[in-house]
Amino acid sequence: MAALRKGFIDTGKIAPVLPALALADFSLKSRTGFKGSGAASWLAAQGLVLPDDPNQACTDAQGRMVARLSWGEFLLLGDFAGLEKAWSYESAPMCFPLPRQDSHAWIVVSGEVAPKMMAKICGIDLRPQVFPKGAIAQTSVARLNAIIIADQIGGRGGFHLLSDGSTSQYLWDCLVDAMLEFEGAPVRSEALSKETHGQTDAQG
Amino acid sequence: MTRLPAPWGQWIDRGQDISFTFEGRKITAHPGDSVASALLANGQRLIGRSFKYHRPRGIFSAAGWDANTLVQTGSKPNVNAERLLAVDGLSVSAVNYAGSLDRDWGRLVEKFSKLLAAGFYYKTFFTPRIAWKFWEPVIRHMAGLGRVDEKAPHAYYDKEYLFADVAVVGAGPAGLSAALEAARTGASVLLIDEEPEIGGSLNWARDGSDDLKNRVRAEKGIEILTGACVQALFDDNWLEIVKGNRLYKLRAKAVVAATGCYWLPMVFRHNDLPGVMLGSALQRLLRLWGVAPGKRAVVATANDEGYAVALDLADAGIEVAAISDLRPHRDEGRFAQEAGKRGMRILQGAAPFEAHEKNNRLASVDLVQAASGQFQERIDCDLLALSAGRIPASGLLSHAGAKFAHEAHMDLPSALPAHLFAAGSVNGRFSLASALADGALAGALAAKDAGFAAEIPPSVGRDALGVTHPWPIITHPKGMEFVDLDEDVQVKDIQASMADGYEHIQLLKRYSTSGMGPSQGKLFWPHVQRLMAKAKGVTPAEIGASTIRPPMGGETLGHLAGRAFEPVRLSAMHKRHLELGAVMMPAGAWMRPAYYGSDERAIDQEAKAVRDGVGLIDVSTLGGLDVRGPDAAVFLERLYTWTYAKLAVGRARYVLMCDQTGVVIDDGVAARLHEQHFYVTATTSGVDRVFRLMQWYNAQWRLRVDIAQVTSAYAAVNLAGPKARDVLARAGTDIDIKKEAFPYLGVRQGLVAGIPVRILRIGFVGELGYEIHCPAQYGEALWDGLMAAGQDFGIAPFGVEAQRILRLEKGHIIIGQDTDALTHPFEIGMDWAVKMDKPFFAGQAALRAHLEKAPVRKLVGFALENDKGPLPKECHLVIEKGDIAGRLTSVVRSPSLGRVIGMAFVKPEQAGLGNLFDIRVDGGAMVQARVVALPFYDPKSQRQEM
Repeated sequence: MAALRKGFIDTGKIAPVLPALALADFSLKSRTGFKGSGAASWLAAQGLVLPDDPNQACTDAQGRMVARLSWGEFLLLGDFAGLEKAWSYESAPMCFPLPRQDSHAWIVVSGEVAPKMMAKICGIDLRPQVFPKGAIAQTSVARLNAIIIADQIGGRGGFHLLSDGSTSQYLWDCLVDAMLEFEGAPVRSEALSKETHGQTDAQG
Repeated sequence: MTRLPAPWGQWIDRGQDISFTFEGRKITAHPGDSVASALLANGQRLIGRSFKYHRPRGIFSAAGWDANTLVQTGSKPNVNAERLLAVDGLSVSAVNYAGSLDRDWGRLVEKFSKLLAAGFYYKTFFTPRIAWKFWEPVIRHMAGLGRVDEKAPHAYYDKEYLFADVAVVGAGPAGLSAALEAARTGASVLLIDEEPEIGGSLNWARDGSDDLKNRVRAEKGIEILTGACVQALFDDNWLEIVKGNRLYKLRAKAVVAATGCYWLPMVFRHNDLPGVMLGSALQRLLRLWGVAPGKRAVVATANDEGYAVALDLADAGIEVAAISDLRPHRDEGRFAQEAGKRGMRILQGAAPFEAHEKNNRLASVDLVQAASGQFQERIDCDLLALSAGRIPASGLLSHAGAKFAHEAHMDLPSALPAHLFAAGSVNGRFSLASALADGALAGALAAKDAGFAAEIPPSVGRDALGVTHPWPIITHPKGMEFVDLDEDVQVKDIQASMADGYEHIQLLKRYSTSGMGPSQGKLFWPHVQRLMAKAKGVTPAEIGASTIRPPMGGETLGHLAGRAFEPVRLSAMHKRHLELGAVMMPAGAWMRPAYYGSDERAIDQEAKAVRDGVGLIDVSTLGGLDVRGPDAAVFLERLYTWTYAKLAVGRARYVLMCDQTGVVIDDGVAARLHEQHFYVTATTSGVDRVFRLMQWYNAQWRLRVDIAQVTSAYAAVNLAGPKARDVLARAGTDIDIKKEAFPYLGVRQGLVAGIPVRILRIGFVGELGYEIHCPAQYGEALWDGLMAAGQDFGIAPFGVEAQRILRLEKGHIIIGQDTDALTHPFEIGMDWAVKMDKPFFAGQAALRAHLEKAPVRKLVGFALENDKGPLPKECHLVIEKGDIAGRLTSVVRSPSLGRVIGMAFVKPEQAGLGNLFDIRVDGGAMVQARVVALPFYDPKSQRQEM
């Protein structure tokens, strides 16, 4: 039986070896989110270590990433199924789950030249000296709203890009186009998730 | 091809030959050549023709400061050959000639130059009025340079952002020094120059060296961007830079403008001939490209640098027939002294009066005594080098709003805006030592401004005196002394413009066209300033500095337009639509199936399938919003016109949103999934606005509510038609879908085909319908499951066009099509969805006011009386007694009803059932329509509730 869940991106030709700049579709990996004025306290009560400030991300012992998008909004990259099960209107007042698994595509860019490539489609300075690991930008990428999170991916500097799922093919195509001059190429998601720190690099 | 031996020609690779064509002729070049330098090396001195008089033109600045050498390369018009790198296989042609470049009959215009004084076109062509019909095509034919190739292939242009703590524009001595000093503090420095190599005048001037360049190249904190033109400096240190086909947007914390100077030409009769050129142009040709552009030269100077040019020419083996020095007294500079020691012929107080032409180029020059105007001598020469002074290249400073003061016969910056620093000759520091010191100072100040700890070196004073001559203009009774090469503006044109009353620089520029050409008066503006001052009897300082506006160099529409980012939204089922042969149409950024099949006949078949059996439409584009929290119902009560407080969990209700003026702005459905949770749909195009408004109101009302935009998180289909329930059952669901268990306007959550779903029983198309929403990643599987389950029931996919017919038959409005920016609910028959007795909702106060006024229009359903004739279209006008009485909002030929039906705004007095009204159709014909009751189809709504 065919899998019921599907990513939306036609990733095209996949590079046989990890290129200097690699692009991968992480969209089928687990992620979720919580939002609301009670989100921080409920998540903390569940034992999650939260970044102190908005636009900061941290990684827990299992290699999962907790990204704080505002005082009351959290994007969780990795397997947080336990949290989703524990949640209810009654147990988590003013804390609401977000369907991040389906609302946002998750695309990963890895390679030291990634900031230079991103500068072709995004106006934020993403150079590591000003946008280090764990920094978050909620901004426009190729005219799309996007969340950019700096991380070490595949043992190299890179970014998690989360953007509206319906425009994921468009964004993918923009990225592939922007990567051409750097000899970047799409790779399988496994090529980037297996080498990252901890269990994974925020993979589900 | 003739070249000087090394070390002349440091930019060319003599080991390789390449070739391109110019006017069909093969030109051999070396890598590193510009097209202009290669042409000259091949003896091609004539490169273009002037705009107005078609005079012969060649290299004048060798730096792209003028428009003499604009050429066409393939589809690209007006490329400056002095800035265009020669590459193998390039095809180059000259612009603006008629006949051949050598024999241009367009030059006949010069014979009539006396009739073509400044502003002649303002005075000439408008009387009699009929004359314009003759002149307009003639003028249009003559206007412009180059050819627009309408079949040019689409080229790839794009953009890139750049970031730096300190941006240094100009990599001459001052810029190099500034970059080094700024980098020393730890600041990230971006050094930008339009030349292919850093160094500026160090590369071509007589006293150049490589030491400073090498130190900059070795400095890790300095990023170098060469071959890049800074077009503009906008607010907040936003620099627009063009390199190749890319436009860079640089945001720097601080900017150093070390943009240097242009060399000031002299003005005399025929100062535009090929062979007459700036001294700096000659030095560039010799040192950068190893090209000796002539055999016998005269150097006309007014400063020490002219003597350096003469020495360089002599060193390169070119005979220097004389140095004509405009000044009465001998220069004491080191180059003048060296020229004297070498026995060069120096004519003190002499100036060029007229250049003579032979075979489209310079043949000789007449010199006069500058003080008396007395003829001195004629000298045969094929080169005339000009060195009258400098013009600070202050364009970027001007863009940023710098103030200037007239000092030492130049406009030098006197006040700079914050975060901007000037260095080097643009700032009045001309000697190498003072330029380096000034650069270091600016670099340190810029780094400090950017937040770095910098030691500030001492400042050095300006050394601008004696650099620029106050009046390097030698008029001639026969004119043709050009003060603008781009537009062929002569001295007399400036004088005539002043006489016509255009005494302000901004007016004079436009009237005389001086400075209005491609080079924007870079080289000749100071002359115009001097001429205006003389005519007005004031000082040049009182005339003031010209405002220089972006862009600084050639900026194409491609640079501005490319790369276009046009997001496209695709639903989870997009691939399936394509496989089924859908014709896709845009709906905002979304792509939706208009219909499935090869032609529009499919639309009626799709509508029929829904009416008779079952159809499936992708409605994923519908907006989705999760409104959650203890006050969710209160929030909806305040936001929408109807009431939701008592809506039971498991039920859905129509929502209608008005703005504060009572205008209908969106609609949808609110489905209550939990006491604290409403899943609210909105229109495809309206959801972003609705989401923004919800957040806006939530911030004000401070209710215990959270709003999430979940449009993309859910794929959705509408399974509609009398057999919809059968298909749903066949697909497999754990929801009890019997009519009694799941009635019309019910909402359920469960599984369909193993997929988690939210199902809303609503009926936009007027049939038994299930709007099924599922997590987007399951969308394709849901579509597949329902299509497979519906196979035995004849399920047909249907598109937006069929849905538009079906909903119109059912009398459902589309917000934005059947409403406009003034429509309130009462004029579209939505009274039933407005609870005016609620304490408050957005737009309520305005709607109260509407109720107190007499209505001005009404949306009615209509049917055509005779649908065999011309058919009306949407937006055709309703006419009453010759006046506009309304307009059609929707019209279709209904396959279910077999007649043309629609909706229209009419006057209230026309809205009575059975009334006839007139519609004006294409071509002006009138057709009659009759007001009929809505809905047209299934008036008792039995089918959607079955």
